[in-house]
Amino acid sequence: MEAGSDVMDILELEKEKEFITKDALMNDYKKKKSKKQEQVSFKRPEGMHRELWGLLWTDNKDAPPLMPADTNQGYKQMKAKIGSSRVRPWKWMPFTNPARKDGAIFYHWRKVADEGKDYPFARFNKSVEIPVYSDLEYQQHLHDDSWTRQETDYLFDLCKRFDLRFIIIHDRWDREKYPNRSVEDLKERYYNICNTLTKVRAPAGTEPKIRPFDAEHERKRKLQLIKLFERTPEQVEEEEYLITELKKIELRKKEREKKTQDLQKLITAADSNIDSRRVDRKSTKKKMQHPQKVKEIGTNPESTGIKFPDFKQSGVSVRSQRIKLPASVGQKKTKAMEQVLEELGIEYNPMPTEEIVTHFNELRQDIVLLYELKLALTTCDYELETLRHRIQTLAPGTPIPDIPKPETSDLQITPTSPTGEEPDSPKSIKFLESIDVMGTPGTPNRKRKAALEQSNIMKKIKHKI
Amino acid sequence: MAEFGTPTSSGRVKGLTIVKPVVFGNVARYFGKKREEDGHTHQWTVYIKPYKNEDLSTYVKKVNFKLHESYPNQNRVITKPPYEVTETGWGEFEVVIKIYFCDPNERPVTLYHLLKLFQSETDIMLGKKSLVAEFYDELVFNDPTVMMHQLLTNPRPIAVGPYKHETDFEERKEKTLNNILAAKKKIRYEITELNDRLKQKKETIQKLKKQISQLEENVSETGVQPDVESLT
Repeated sequence: MEAGSDVMDILELEKEKEFITKDALMNDYKKKKSKKQEQVSFKRPEGMHRELWGLLWTDNKDAPPLMPADTNQGYKQMKAKIGSSRVRPWKWMPFTNPARKDGAIFYHWRKVADEGKDYPFARFNKSVEIPVYSDLEYQQHLHDDSWTRQETDYLFDLCKRFDLRFIIIHDRWDREKYPNRSVEDLKERYYNICNTLTKVRAPAGTEPKIRPFDAEHERKRKLQLIKLFERTPEQVEEEEYLITELKKIELRKKEREKKTQDLQKLITAADSNIDSRRVDRKSTKKKMQHPQKVKEIGTNPESTGIKFPDFKQSGVSVRSQRIKLPASVGQKKTKAMEQVLEELGIEYNPMPTEEIVTHFNELRQDIVLLYELKLALTTCDYELETLRHRIQTLAPGTPIPDIPKPETSDLQITPTSPTGEEPDSPKSIKFLESIDVMGTPGTPNRKRKAALEQSNIMKKIKHKI
Repeated sequence: MAEFGTPTSSGRVKGLTIVKPVVFGNVARYFGKKREEDGHTHQWTVYIKPYKNEDLSTYVKKVNFKLHESYPNQNRVITKPPYEVTETGWGEFEVVIKIYFCDPNERPVTLYHLLKLFQSETDIMLGKKSLVAEFYDELVFNDPTVMMHQLLTNPRPIAVGPYKHETDFEERKEKTLNNILAAKKKIRYEITELNDRLKQKKETIQKLKKQISQLEENVSETGVQPDVESLT
């Protein structure tokens, strides 16, 4: 059919052409479709799945085509038949814009059908309604000591002229005749008047709608913005620096607070450990005869170190499973533990008898506790150092109470020999040092600080001599 | 066996724990040279056996040795003692030993053994002596099923004569335990010491803080600015 129309066009044969609109195009397509729907319905063949049949059967009620059927539709855009519609006539004609007061006449192209109608863009010419006050109203309600009647009139005149564009009003303000006023002053006066007028004019009993304008707030806001804008790059930099420093300080403060809390926990843990140790020591003598008893006493009531899983479940298990470290133990701890174990000459996986497993696990818990104590000591040293420093800056020369020796590893700790019942105590110091706590952040600084402090002390001593 | 399949057999003897020590590992012997046809250098036997002189098969149904995937028949299932697999090879790998029990209600237990072939000791290197790499472990039966309980409590001896292992586990046990106990003592001593020091330091910190707050009061009265740096 399309090809036919092309031929007609070429031959310039006048065929009856309808005025093509969007609707016509759509209807055209629908008509074709409805013709097809008269066909006979098919029944679902035996054995064909319902889902598959549904796919074939739902939309067109049509037997599946053998050839691709949707040649003229689908996702392709419908062909717009532009060439076949008749051209609507346009005309060069004069018009007036009702928004203009001067009645100037201009010319433009317009559809003949629209001739004589209003200029369509005139409706965008909106103007603001500026309230008008009478002499009486002004005298009764609108009087303001800093504004004269004349100046107020001038303000309202400008408001009307510039459609409340206060920036422009401020710009055009006659500074010779009237005092110089800020945008906020102008706005404040204008909105105050508007609001009083609406209040006064509102019929009794109704709630008048007022527009709040907080001049003071606006002034402050602008002042702030100006200040913000006028900062020098150095000032900006300094501010950023200070903010980051503040954050750091707060973070450190929090960390320290948390650490002191942990410290208390640790001390209680160590205390309970000592208690259990005392019991343990008493029992060691008996243990030789009754190895079974150790198990009952040896169990730590609570330990901060490692939580080994309970093997109370029924069923079979392998004993060596119980010396497996739980995954919750951190890498640092594991490493420290392995280091100590190595120095003690103990295998990581000792022969798993019941007794050995219990003691081995307890030993490792103790090692972790020792590690944590050591960590806590380092933080304590650091804190002591800062506190001492602070006292000296606050009041130089104040006597400082005895400070226990710091635990820095380069300082030789002279072991305070115990009562002598621990023959291996001097050696034990070695393990303490072998635990590496230096992996904690900020240590190099700390070390350097400590060194500085030491040299300071040395100088002071020399001075005194 | 069929009568044990009834639901009553899954009832467990609560509060009872039976421990069965076992020894597992491998022996290996060097051929003295690389074998021409397949490049194998060692003959080895991986095994699991009871630590005490008793018959494992009373309660063990089968043992599965999972070898390296390059072996034909990777899974070797042994149903009666001795529970061992002898093979030849040229490399070390991890053998997965899975023990199944007579009562299917008891879940199988898995042991891992790294097959050992090479050692620096010269006699073994030359193939004159076998290499032994064996370990002690314990099967722990928590609340065994009624059926398992019966089987576990009536062990049969396997060997008529004295029953011994290549490794002297008794001696090792004694040594390890003593080692650990000694270490524990040391560590605990250190803990006490550290704890005392920690307490001491804590007290000092509190003292210093008190002093500082007093000083700060004085300073704020005199109007001197505290050092900002010391706050960080």
